[in-house]
Amino acid sequence: MLRRFPDFLGDMSRRALVSPVTFSLFFAFALAGAIVAVTGGDPLAAGEEMVTGAVTGSGLRNTLGRAVPIVGMALAVSIAFRSGIINLGGEGQMVIGGLAGTMVAIYVPGPGYLIVPLAMLAGAVVGAVWGLLPAYGQTWLRLPILITSLLLNYVARAVTGYLVRFHLLDDAVTLTSTRQVPEAARMPKMPVFGGVSLSLILVMVLVALLWMVYTRSVAGYESQMTGFNMRSARYGGIDVEQRTVQVMVVAGAIGGLIGTHLIIGEALRFIDGELVLAGFAWTGLLVSLLAVNRPIPIFITGLFFSGLQIGGLAMQRNAGVSWRLSQVLQAVVIVAVACRLSVWRSERRRAEPSEADAAGVGEV
Amino acid sequence: MTFELELRGITKRYPGVLANDAVDLAVRPAEIHAIVGENGAGKTTLMSLLYGLFPPDEGEIFIRGERVEFSSALEAIAAGLGMVHQSFKLFPTLSVADNVVFRQEPRRRGLIDRAASVARVRELADRYGLAVDPEAVVEDLPVGVLQRVEILKALYRDANVLILDEPTAVLTPQERDKLFEVIRRLRDAGGTILFITHKLGEVMAISDRVTVLRNGRAVADLVTAETDPAEITLHMTGRAVDLDRRAPEHEPAQVVLKVDSLTVIGEHGRPAVADASFEVRSGEIVGIAGVAGNGQSELIEALCGLRETDGGAVSLVGMEITGADVAGRRSAGLAYIPEDRYAVGTIRQASVSENLLLGHHRNPSIQHRGWFDRQAVARLARRLVEVFDIKAGSVSGPVSTLSGGNLQKVVVAREMEQGTPLLIAEQPTRGLDIGAIEFVHGQLVRFRDQGGAVLMVSAELSEILALSTRILVMFEGRIVADLDPSKVAEPEIGLYMTGAHLEKAVA
Repeated sequence: MLRRFPDFLGDMSRRALVSPVTFSLFFAFALAGAIVAVTGGDPLAAGEEMVTGAVTGSGLRNTLGRAVPIVGMALAVSIAFRSGIINLGGEGQMVIGGLAGTMVAIYVPGPGYLIVPLAMLAGAVVGAVWGLLPAYGQTWLRLPILITSLLLNYVARAVTGYLVRFHLLDDAVTLTSTRQVPEAARMPKMPVFGGVSLSLILVMVLVALLWMVYTRSVAGYESQMTGFNMRSARYGGIDVEQRTVQVMVVAGAIGGLIGTHLIIGEALRFIDGELVLAGFAWTGLLVSLLAVNRPIPIFITGLFFSGLQIGGLAMQRNAGVSWRLSQVLQAVVIVAVACRLSVWRSERRRAEPSEADAAGVGEV
Repeated sequence: MTFELELRGITKRYPGVLANDAVDLAVRPAEIHAIVGENGAGKTTLMSLLYGLFPPDEGEIFIRGERVEFSSALEAIAAGLGMVHQSFKLFPTLSVADNVVFRQEPRRRGLIDRAASVARVRELADRYGLAVDPEAVVEDLPVGVLQRVEILKALYRDANVLILDEPTAVLTPQERDKLFEVIRRLRDAGGTILFITHKLGEVMAISDRVTVLRNGRAVADLVTAETDPAEITLHMTGRAVDLDRRAPEHEPAQVVLKVDSLTVIGEHGRPAVADASFEVRSGEIVGIAGVAGNGQSELIEALCGLRETDGGAVSLVGMEITGADVAGRRSAGLAYIPEDRYAVGTIRQASVSENLLLGHHRNPSIQHRGWFDRQAVARLARRLVEVFDIKAGSVSGPVSTLSGGNLQKVVVAREMEQGTPLLIAEQPTRGLDIGAIEFVHGQLVRFRDQGGAVLMVSAELSEILALSTRILVMFEGRIVADLDPSKVAEPEIGLYMTGAHLEKAVA
């Protein structure tokens, strides 16, 4: 029945042209340009500042730096989504893991090459445990992960806030903050583009690893099949509950790694409430959705969003256009991609007379 | 003469597929016109085009000589077409009358006039001899009655042309006969019926004319009285087939599956399977007959580890598997062709080769320590596609592009490939065309002849009779009969299926 298109390359370029992403980007930038023009600015100058601000000099370093948490959190949420698990607890897993990693970095003495990995490990373990709670809630008590993981974000905020305020407070500063991470226990920076955190490598390794897992491992296969169709997965002997627990452990661990990185690699102190301000978990969620939960597209999309944010700041500095315009851009891209996707889907559904209708018997 | 309904040169293309190729169809007033063809022959597409679900690329539709173009089903309904789908579209918690008058309720002072709707539905039902209580709640009704409700819905909307899509798939022989009576009565009252089916017996029994579709083309337009099943089959498949292949004589060997007093509590706290005991031996096919919903699904799910059991024991080649999970049972030697190949048997978003792995993806021949041997996987997929003649563009392409028959071949190939001692086949040919049915039957027989044990559930009595070594009949969760197919006739099985044997015993 199915015939492949004879001209494969032609088909690829045609698909790229009609791809919702291409259209959405074009639309989003056109709209943003219009907004700048209407408010009396010069859209071309603003655009130029945005691009140069994102990819040149310290801008490139900042773009790469910010891509670490965005891509990382997107990866964490993507593995849950691929298994059909709506894990909205990335933020909590990141915050609580981040504090655990920070505590190791501050209080455990030793050389950096031991303490940094140990801190990351501690962050991952505690993040994983935080992911386990909603997982067991679902498999044992049938509490939906969607709800519990989301609510545990607030618990994580409160717990870390309490610990920082009453047990880990640094009296030397006026912030509600832990002490500074000692020099030796900080995430090293690589001597490229003016100092990019080593965590970028970690994130790239994660991208490659997840790509491997999903293209050629039994675990990836089982996760993906579960996400596609849970009934079929059970029929195929896949232990859906066990997979749920495993996926939440890995997602939580990645969250904890990113949280730890954000302190020992960027902020250097755990300031109460600070970690959630940038909304990396939520930006990551959007990135994952746009990239349809695939690791390599997540990396590219994450870099793009990071560049938008950094470039937006540069645009404000140099072209006098508010950085919020880049948030508008981000929002328009998301809405446009989502709309195009749904239009495309419903066209397809109409075009194919459903074979499933022929199978549905006795449906009342 | 003016045709009630005429299609001229209807063509519909999908990427790479010509679903309908210049189809002509002429239906006379007050005739029962059967449309037969294998799955993928274009029956569903043709009816969807006729019913306004999407437009044809080319061609014209005429109703009573007038050219029409429908942009939605509502317009088709307004023009006097009525369609009874295979899956019923009813509100389970509402009454029959409420379902029938939905969106065209008789009103009084702006409010729905319930008494009038009940009266009108009752009047309609009486006129066409459809035995339905308008005030009954839909969810309490058996399938045969639900179908009558669907027919009433169409008649209430003044349908002159009634399209019935595979209407007998869910009916017992007795219900089927009642449906045929209703159809004849409708015709005698001047109605026109389009009857879509792939069962030749029904074509012969009910239709006045028959149009045969093959590969998207209308290849024959025949007067039923002047043709015979062999001629129709030849048109459908382009070759002659033999479905009535009786099981050859053989000696049943050792017990493969032993089920002992199995009880499964169903959704409503009542036993869906009650105290079922039976055995399946190697080299035999045990067929379970029964009207859908009498515990067959629950029994199979329990045997496969997809449903908790509430008593009894199950063993497979001497190994106790009562408490084992799905993976445990599969590795103990159980293969399973599930009833619903769309929602369970295959994963539509996954590729053909991913679907061919499902359930056997931990087999050491294709993976080492959790990493697939991609070449072994590709070899396996290519071999199965070739051996089972699965028509797929590529093994890495999505399985959702396959036709129903090829989809079932994917499931059959996957489950047979493992060479397990036991194969459970649930409605293995439902909705398939003759060619695919023949193929699946051939595979089941081959499995049996190689010493496998087969437990088959089917709503098709002809299938049960053609393949089974023994027939078990399920009624209300109990196995009420263990019959020898060579010594039993279809009506007798029908009596057990409907529980009528119980009344006989009391009387």
